[in-house]
Amino acid sequence: MAKNSITSRIVLSLIGAVIFMFFFSFMLVPLYNVFCEVTGINGKIYGPSDFFKKKEEVVSRNVNVRFLSQVNGSAPVTFFPTSESIQVLTDKVSKTSFVARNNTNKELTLTIIPSVSPGLAAEQVKKVQCFCFEEQTLLPYEEQEWPIRFYIDSELSSNVNNIYLSYTLFENDRKLTVSMTDGK
Amino acid sequence: MSAVIEKHDHHHGPQKGVLRWLFTTNHKDIGTLYLWFSFLMFLTGGAMAMGIRAELFEPGLQLMDPIRYNQLVTMHGLIMIFGGVMPAFVGLANWLIPMQVGAPDMALPRMNNLSFWLLPAAFTILLSTAFMEGGMPGFGWTFYAPLSTNYPNIAYFVFAIHIMGISSIMGSINVIVTIMNMRAPGMTLMKMPLFVWSWLITAYLLIAVMPVLAGAVTMLLMDAYFGTSFFDAAGGGDPVLFQHIFWFFGHPEVYIMILPAFGITSHIISTFSRKPLFGHSSMVYAMVSIAVLSFVVWAHHMFTVGMPLAAELFFMWATMVIAIPTGVKVFNWVATIFKGSITYETPMLFAIAFVVLFTIGGFSGLMLAITPADFQYHDTYFVVAHFHYVLVPGAVFSIMAAVYYWLPKWTGNMYDEKMGKLHFWLSFIGVNVTFFPQHFVGLAGMPRRYADYALQFAEWNAVSSVGAFLFGLSQLLFLYIVVKAVFAGKKATAQVWDGARGLEWTVDSPAPYHTFEIPPKVKG
Repeated sequence: MAKNSITSRIVLSLIGAVIFMFFFSFMLVPLYNVFCEVTGINGKIYGPSDFFKKKEEVVSRNVNVRFLSQVNGSAPVTFFPTSESIQVLTDKVSKTSFVARNNTNKELTLTIIPSVSPGLAAEQVKKVQCFCFEEQTLLPYEEQEWPIRFYIDSELSSNVNNIYLSYTLFENDRKLTVSMTDGK
Repeated sequence: MSAVIEKHDHHHGPQKGVLRWLFTTNHKDIGTLYLWFSFLMFLTGGAMAMGIRAELFEPGLQLMDPIRYNQLVTMHGLIMIFGGVMPAFVGLANWLIPMQVGAPDMALPRMNNLSFWLLPAAFTILLSTAFMEGGMPGFGWTFYAPLSTNYPNIAYFVFAIHIMGISSIMGSINVIVTIMNMRAPGMTLMKMPLFVWSWLITAYLLIAVMPVLAGAVTMLLMDAYFGTSFFDAAGGGDPVLFQHIFWFFGHPEVYIMILPAFGITSHIISTFSRKPLFGHSSMVYAMVSIAVLSFVVWAHHMFTVGMPLAAELFFMWATMVIAIPTGVKVFNWVATIFKGSITYETPMLFAIAFVVLFTIGGFSGLMLAITPADFQYHDTYFVVAHFHYVLVPGAVFSIMAAVYYWLPKWTGNMYDEKMGKLHFWLSFIGVNVTFFPQHFVGLAGMPRRYADYALQFAEWNAVSSVGAFLFGLSQLLFLYIVVKAVFAGKKATAQVWDGARGLEWTVDSPAPYHTFEIPPKVKG
């Protein structure tokens, strides 16, 4: 009957819409990453910089860079910057370092994720060398000093004078579990 | 005409006993099942709310540790949204849409049966975590990753959400096919009653966003058990991405829970003002524009995650634009009441309270939409007050209004009007005493989702708890009134209310098991 074929046509197109929306939710993941990379809005830094590209003459100025460190969850690592903040000249490579200490008798593999605040300045923070580019390994009770070389591009928006460079340290292959016992 | 109704169905009534309810494909039976299920969930979620308010009655930890408190808050939200409000609207849709468009049943009756029976399964899975080591989910109904991915028993939560989602999607497909395909001759789209219109739009919203929710919980499951890093920064994922995906579902979900309420209110206000609804087609356009706008405002839930200024401004303005179609609806209701011959039966009381209190909730929503102000209000009790004002005296009141309004049609008996009014006033006072003070403590800075609070908030929290107990207990009165009307009461006429218009009032009360087997003619 005609009614029946209309029914199945509507049902099929609605099921099609459902399947499309399900996969659309997964498409949001790459879309979001592309969007963030193009606009540089979420403080993420994408890979090593292209320092040796030829640059036009620009006037340098001073920018205050502050360093923050965080340890995710209960990773048994002590992690801190050697200096809290430094004044840098734009387009001039500066060097500082972070210290990480393994507090266990086991070898740890670590991933360190950077984040820049304000997020819109993230594109102008150019890292030449960073411990965040690859996984780090700490032997039992080992302490390491991790250097970082970077410069602030002079294309930095003129209303940004302070930049926060934050690193969060994650322990690999270890699931955090929320403790279900209260603090009594 | 009756291609979807099997022929032998015409000649007998319902089966006897429990099998009737298990195997029923009758839209009225399924509607009843949905409504009772949602009431059961309403009491379950309500009992959890009583636990929450008892703990917050005074500062300090009295009854439970913070973990238990978080679990109650989470389950209260999940149960009220997915078990209370949404199934109640689906139940009303089942009962009313076929009768209002002059169809003999829903278009896909067996799927209808399945979409109901999935729900008890889903909530059994969700609630079974209460008896497991690790306990119920305690990460809030918004299940922000990566907190939720690190929780125990998350797989149960994920599968429960999946099943609820499948149920909602099947229900929506049913509603859309019924409305598009089974209207009585002469009932053009623009002549459809507003409840039907509101559900048509709601069903499309559900089709669009429930799969996104399914995608979000699937990613969560993969992050938790299959080593992916959608939302885990350590593996290159982004926790903020979770919030974007969640609220892309979450904001249309908000309108899924309020659009059918708009439809219900339009019917009731017109009936008891004894006037046709003012601006029928503008009501339809307003609902369509609210639905469309709901897809471009999600980030107003996450102003504080650190978005660029342009995005903050866009989402602020887009959110405020929603006030325009919503305002159209409120003014239309007021214009309908204006110079009407009004009587104040219980459904009308609930409907008027809906308009007033929902508008209060809408206004606090406008305050929250102002980005710079939201940085202060974000995650405080002001937000809690806001969304409870639009959901409790909004969605829940409209459901109660609908039950009182159509109950004589369903049972054939009038409910006890005195008791109904008592129930209304207790609920009205209870709701306002509970939630209005939460505006004050929220503006003063009391954060949400904590089992304890600073001393300065003690007085208003005590008041709020007293109101909550009043509201909670008065719902037992509602149960009593409904049960009484099922078994006894003054016999209702077919039209029930003398201002009632529409096809459902042309059939007997109680509505026969099968209605409109021969489609009615709808005149201009």
